[in-house]
Amino acid sequence: MLQTLFNGFVTGITMTLPALAVTLLFGVLKFANFAIGAMMTVAAYMAFALNAQLGWPLLPSTIVVAIVCGLLCIAVDVVTFKPLRDRGSITLMVASLGLGFVLENIARLFYGNSARSFAIEIARPFRVMDIRMNKEQMITIVVSTVAMLAMYFLLTRTPVGRAMRAVADNPSLALVRGIESGRIIRWTWFIAGVLLAVGGVLIGMDRAIEPPMGSSYLIAVFAAAIFGGLGSPLGAFLGALAIGIVSEMATLVIPPNYRIGIPLCVIALVLIFRPQGLMGQAHIRR
Amino acid sequence: MSNVLEVQGLHAGYGAGDILKGVELTVAEGSVVTIIGPNGSGKSTLVKTLTGLLRTRQGDIVLKGKSVKDLSPPERVRAGMSYVPQEYNVFRNLTVLENLQIAHEFMSAGRGGKRGKPLSDEMEALFPELPSRYKALAGNLSGGQRQMLAFACALTVKPEVLVMDEPSAGLSPKYMTDIFDCVKRVNEMGVSVLMVEQNAIEALRISHRCIVMANGRVRLASDAAAVLGMRELQSLYLGDVKEAEAPASAAAG
Ligand SMILES: Nc1ncnc2c1ncn2[C@@H]1O[C@H](COP(=O)(O)OP(=O)(O)O)[C@@H](O)[C@H]1O
Ligand SMILES: [Mg+2]
Repeated sequence: MLQTLFNGFVTGITMTLPALAVTLLFGVLKFANFAIGAMMTVAAYMAFALNAQLGWPLLPSTIVVAIVCGLLCIAVDVVTFKPLRDRGSITLMVASLGLGFVLENIARLFYGNSARSFAIEIARPFRVMDIRMNKEQMITIVVSTVAMLAMYFLLTRTPVGRAMRAVADNPSLALVRGIESGRIIRWTWFIAGVLLAVGGVLIGMDRAIEPPMGSSYLIAVFAAAIFGGLGSPLGAFLGALAIGIVSEMATLVIPPNYRIGIPLCVIALVLIFRPQGLMGQAHIRR
Repeated sequence: MSNVLEVQGLHAGYGAGDILKGVELTVAEGSVVTIIGPNGSGKSTLVKTLTGLLRTRQGDIVLKGKSVKDLSPPERVRAGMSYVPQEYNVFRNLTVLENLQIAHEFMSAGRGGKRGKPLSDEMEALFPELPSRYKALAGNLSGGQRQMLAFACALTVKPEVLVMDEPSAGLSPKYMTDIFDCVKRVNEMGVSVLMVEQNAIEALRISHRCIVMANGRVRLASDAAAVLGMRELQSLYLGDVKEAEAPASAAAG
């Protein structure tokens, strides 16, 4: 029971970073980006290349990949989404599905379908208060917590972070308050890229690195972001923890194979009973 | 007296066909100009075109002698055009303080980001209700307080011209009086004001000039006092004025 709770907590905290990326991208760009799964996969493979193939330690590999991934996201936006910006959110969403497919298969092209893992020593699990945990889980908890605190600081204490929230809140008011939306969009992609890269490495550390690794998290991550209220950073954090814990706890009563259904049920229930999500505010339509 | 703002033969619209069909107007330095006109006559469209949210299809917008029609909205802000939209004029999910910080950080041309007080003493005197609510979410303010916040944000950088779209719409009588009083005091600080108003009588009392719009064109431009005196104009263009206010306006004129 406690063990399951802990496992759920770790699953949830692993999803906080991608869920935050989803919610920031949605807030600023107003479309559901389904390429985030494949973006995490690509980032994990890039870290694998530096770490396992070039022999770098995992930490510097991750930092380099995070920055590269942030820049790549800006480039991908310019090439893929920017030309479609005026076409509406459905077009952008479909484009993101296509992009995800392309990215995942680029990874497959280079590394095939077999599962890989980072070159890190496997430490023996240890027990705290009868709960089994391992070093990777500790790293995941620490890294995610630090990243979330950094994001909180960025979003509330820096001009760029405030401007991102302002653009998400009311894009045309942001323009007449002097905020250049192009610049804020680039920042948003960069930050999302960094979050996705770190998230990809954490998932790769926890599971194996394989082409569908990122997309297998897609539904749960979206459930977390929707549950928390799309566009709400705090909501994404709480939503990820809740989805992680609920999915894991559910395996106590339903077969683990059906675990994937839990986030879908959450999405359905939220959309029926509280469409704006936990922390979200009712959407302004103009 | 020179003009801060000159609008020449302005055409603009949303889809096919123009809503604005050649609008001409000027705002003299230091004056308050009020635009009135029936619903749908294009007042908000004009204001959105001035601030750059809507593209100028034809004609020109000249601010302090320079054409701004090809500038983006942020560039126009930094050129000295401040705007208070009619609705959704504060960031509701941000605190009052954050709304003001954003205005400080982004509205001025490089001059901003000063680590000073969120409101200058002058502005604090103008909007005394705001400082006690800095930590509140802007979305939780009352309508009147929200309007004051939007007003204060637009004034964090002293603009060449302040453009307001129906600042008194939907406000209680107390806030309505306060808003017009603020406009008057801001004007006395040397800010030129162009505002759209439905509460025409109150607005015209603090205005120098009045512009009457109909069907995307300027039908009349005249001294505010003169328009206040015209009874037939009120029945024609101030259609939204409440019945009870008509006699009072006659007395004023
Ligand atoms: N976003 C929009 N899209 C299309 N048409 C619009 C839009 N906003 C206003 N209009 C049309 O433009 C005309 C002028 O509207 P508006 O400028 O809001 O008038 P006013 O502010 O004087 O009441 C109206 O016929 C209105 O239907
Ligand atoms: Mg209007």
